[in-house]
Amino acid sequence: MSSAADAHRRRRRAETPAEQTFADLMNGFTLDSGRRRSRTAPDVPAREATPVVTPVPQVPQEEPPVFESSVPELPDASIVRAYAWTGGRTRSNINLEIETLVSANDQTRQSAGILQAEHQHVVELCRAPRSVAEVAALMRLPLGVAKVLLGDMAERGLVDVHQTASAGGVTPDLGLMERVLSGLRRL
Amino acid sequence: MDYVGSRFPDFGPPGPPGRELTSAKVVVAGGFGVGKSTFIRSIVENDLLTMTALPPERAGLVTELVRIQFGRVWLDPGLALHLFVAPQWQDPRAGWNDVVRGAVGAVVLFDVMRPADSVDAMRYFEDHHIPYVLALNNVHASVRSDVKAIIRGMGIDPAVPVVNCDPRVRLSVRETLISLTEHAKLDRWRRRPGPDETTPLAPVC
Repeated sequence: MSSAADAHRRRRRAETPAEQTFADLMNGFTLDSGRRRSRTAPDVPAREATPVVTPVPQVPQEEPPVFESSVPELPDASIVRAYAWTGGRTRSNINLEIETLVSANDQTRQSAGILQAEHQHVVELCRAPRSVAEVAALMRLPLGVAKVLLGDMAERGLVDVHQTASAGGVTPDLGLMERVLSGLRRL
Repeated sequence: MDYVGSRFPDFGPPGPPGRELTSAKVVVAGGFGVGKSTFIRSIVENDLLTMTALPPERAGLVTELVRIQFGRVWLDPGLALHLFVAPQWQDPRAGWNDVVRGAVGAVVLFDVMRPADSVDAMRYFEDHHIPYVLALNNVHASVRSDVKAIIRGMGIDPAVPVVNCDPRVRLSVRETLISLTEHAKLDRWRRRPGPDETTPLAPVC
């Protein structure tokens, strides 16, 4: 008789921890969870410190080829990494417009093997002259990052910058317009 | 549009080494769905590229990334013409400066069925003294006289050329760009006549 009661008590004791754990879990979902906060406290800052961009899928967004969208592209983690390349800088010392052409010079092509990865990438890209906008688009970098990256490379002599005819001024000069015009007529 | 799979695409004839390279750009603006991308696609050799940018005033807010489509065509071995789609940001004036600064001029595509959509862009270019042409996306054809009345009613500069343009047709796009450049040349000459610059010929429209 008494052994049956003991067995029952033992079973109760064995079940208790499981029940408490489940209760803990439930407390976590209720407004009353503050009661248990001391146990869960270490987790909270870590969860709050998670970057905002985390939930966003890291797969580059495929875009429909024709549809013109005014919806901003979802940020992906590579953008954050890109700003790390620039040391957080968003401006370059060299004046680069979005249409400014840059190209790798012969010297850089030879020493491409010893450059850091992103510079190597740009050098490879700029074997044919590319505009700042193209480098930004093909490397999937925000324009500001591409400008800083190219500005740094230009300062180190890794790429040649071919200034636009309007550089310094607000409007292109008449000579350039004439060239554009005859070029368009030849198209 | 997506170049991840292919190695960097060859966009056109690169300038021969040693030759001086330069570039120019044109902005294509207008209402949503009026044919801005189609316009550019008709004249450039390859598909459009898309770059992302942060409007300067909003830099730091990652959610404000904006996509800007563009294409490029080599007009001669040393001159690359870029055509940018003016982005439709919430405040259209907020971040256009990077795209518009130094441009030859702008093409404002104008849907004759939705004239109000292009007014923001026109006003921007008028305020900033950027030469532009109004290109009537005249797919529906033969409404030009009505549209001209609307345009005069909006009080734009009578010097602004108004042309018919089908953004799907390369020749039509080319004609529009030629009349823009001629208008820009005249405008530039009128504004700042330099001592060594001769009078440009009047545009042949």
